[in-house]
Amino acid sequence: MNRRDLLKNTAILMGGIASSSVVQAMLSGVDGRVKIEKIIFSWDQKKMTQVLADMIIPRTDTPGAIDAGVPHFIELMVSDWYTETERAIYFEGVLALDTYCEKNFANNFLDSSAQQRIAALEQAEQDTASYKPPANKNIAVETEDESKPFFLKIKELTVLGYYTSKEGAQKELRYDPMPMRYDDIDFSAVGRQWGWPPVVVVMRCSGLFRNQNNKRSV
Amino acid sequence: MNLHTEYDAIVVGSGISGGWAAKELTEKGLKVLMLERGRPIQHGIDYVGEHTTPWDMPYGGKPLRELYAEEYPIQSKTHGFDETTRHFFNNDKENPYVQNPDKPFIWKRANGLGGRSLLWGRQVYRWSDLDFEANKKDGHGIDWPIRYKDIAPWYSYVEKFVGVSGEKMGLPHLPDGEFQEPMKMNFVERKIKKSIEETYPNRYMTIGRCAIQTEAKNNRGSCHYCGPCARGCSAGAYFSTQSSTLPAAQRTGNLTLRTDSVVEKLEYDAQTKKVSGVCVVDGKSLEKITFRSKIVFLCASTIGSTQILLNSKSEHFPNGLANSSGALGRYLMDHTLGYGAYGIMPDDLEKYHVGNRPNGTYIPRFSNLPGDEAQGYLRGFGYQGGARRMDWKMMSGQVKGFGVRFKQALRAPGPWMAYLSGFGEHLPDKNSRMFLDDTQKDRFGIPQVAFDSVYGDNEKKMTLDMVEQAKAMLKSAGATNVGSFVSDASPGSAIHEMGTARMGDDPKESVLNRWNQAHDVNNLFVTDGACMTSSSCVNPSITYMALTARAADYAVKALAAGTI
Repeated sequence: MNRRDLLKNTAILMGGIASSSVVQAMLSGVDGRVKIEKIIFSWDQKKMTQVLADMIIPRTDTPGAIDAGVPHFIELMVSDWYTETERAIYFEGVLALDTYCEKNFANNFLDSSAQQRIAALEQAEQDTASYKPPANKNIAVETEDESKPFFLKIKELTVLGYYTSKEGAQKELRYDPMPMRYDDIDFSAVGRQWGWPPVVVVMRCSGLFRNQNNKRSV
Repeated sequence: MNLHTEYDAIVVGSGISGGWAAKELTEKGLKVLMLERGRPIQHGIDYVGEHTTPWDMPYGGKPLRELYAEEYPIQSKTHGFDETTRHFFNNDKENPYVQNPDKPFIWKRANGLGGRSLLWGRQVYRWSDLDFEANKKDGHGIDWPIRYKDIAPWYSYVEKFVGVSGEKMGLPHLPDGEFQEPMKMNFVERKIKKSIEETYPNRYMTIGRCAIQTEAKNNRGSCHYCGPCARGCSAGAYFSTQSSTLPAAQRTGNLTLRTDSVVEKLEYDAQTKKVSGVCVVDGKSLEKITFRSKIVFLCASTIGSTQILLNSKSEHFPNGLANSSGALGRYLMDHTLGYGAYGIMPDDLEKYHVGNRPNGTYIPRFSNLPGDEAQGYLRGFGYQGGARRMDWKMMSGQVKGFGVRFKQALRAPGPWMAYLSGFGEHLPDKNSRMFLDDTQKDRFGIPQVAFDSVYGDNEKKMTLDMVEQAKAMLKSAGATNVGSFVSDASPGSAIHEMGTARMGDDPKESVLNRWNQAHDVNNLFVTDGACMTSSSCVNPSITYMALTARAADYAVKALAAGTI
């Protein structure tokens, strides 16, 4: 029995766990995002996802989305974690970028210039303006909003993938898993926000902050 | 199968109350068998999610939706439920109860050694006579058979061992306890505190009193502020069965622990008028075993203990053991959850904090205090709250655009956000109840629990005030963008379920006497949340601990005196 079979069998033994890729990742102690069960992205979709992730969080003086493996994370989420509804919105959104570029620049998205791609993505953001997320009535619970438009989806996945990555949490932000104290400090003493506390420490109100997240204007 | 091993005591359940019962009874020299329906969970070693990094979280920490919907539809809606904690929770599919869609009841359950002591919110507040006298004064429910003076020394006794951090306030309605150094409020929380205390007489804000040590004591470490306690704490900084009561009980050499032991019912001997056996279904082999002891402590949780009693039917007790009063299963209470307000504190962007404090702020009850009882509703509520900078996740939905400027904007945290979230008292009501549905059995052949419980008019009126007062306090503290939150959370959601085997002096109206001893069966004690006669508005667990230690002391003395 090779290692892969062993892990698969363990997944079966553990029973009831939805995705053996998750089990595999957890058991082997590697990055929980590595293995995609079923490849569903076409080459163009893969490439466009890379370009988009890089446009949302580019490399600056710190690593960007590509350095942090975010395109792979997005592909995993879309292939493995998204519902059919969400997946359809994602692929339609990718297609809409192509359609926009072909109409306005006579090229598909990937063959358009950097400026043209930005214009296309800005249009995708514009398209979200009239979108109203459903209300979340129980603040103790964070609910998923399946129907949110493409731009919000890819932005959310890029942000989540990046700031929870080692590169994003440690190099762009500051990460301290064992602070040993809770105290006031000046922001200038750290200069960055803290990488995610492993769980957002808000007592019983995660849904409340989710509501805030839904509001797209301060 | 009958095991003739005789124990002095059997403790059913290994959570907060069961752990205390086992510790106290073994330390007093009794040979104790502790039964836990779930799997073994070893301190430290089995905290497999502890210190998982964000980059090791499957799906970036997002829920495994299909699995949760299929097997954890109720438990997964708990704050803190994720792949680092799931293994401590009940599998809803394997352990179902009957849900009435018109009147849902949320039953959050652990299913392993330590029970919910691994997962609890760790807030600890003493009750006062305002609480113990409330039923008598306004006529809802029956009078408590005890007063604050009866339990005060037991609060002190358990608090020293639990390791409670907090601030003394000198308030008669929220008595001070045995506190370690309080955790710190941040700059903005102190500002809000100052505003509230200057604006409103009789309103105070303090740091949460919590069962997390700030001083290394009791063979346990102090908090290292990593944040997610519910993953388990191998330093033992927070009180759990594993970190605290279980090792104490094991040190005596008097404890036998048996996990995967589902108690089906208690056997009653009509001649001796005592519980004569605890009938267990082995969780793995499904073998049936009866254990015997001189006394039994039911600490299987509010719902769990009463389920066992309701299922223990005999000729003498056709409606459930120790239920000559008919009160068993009734007067089920929780707190109200999910009503309050939030707002942005616009200044102090140069201020930040270090550390993930697993604790918030607390505003003790201020409505309907003696001499000020005109709120349009009875009893009161307290607020848990806090202020923090909004993090990248919250801000990413608010910062428009993408690219270098977007990335740059998320480098600094967002503004300070403050919130106040109320917990309100739930009046005891005969019609709020749990019962057994004999037509629906679980995989052990035990009838499933069903519920009929809704919040009443008093709770609804109170939650309106809760929202208004929270908004007003935040506004006067300078918050902008103040919004309210109202909840459609069903009873059980606050995970403070109480009652169903209430204490009282009159055996015709109550199940348990002032010592948590069944009126009808003198070798039976129930010391978890089932015993509660009213619900107060403060978090209840420390009261279960104090009552358990007190009952254990009484039971051991009564055994020695031959009165049991």
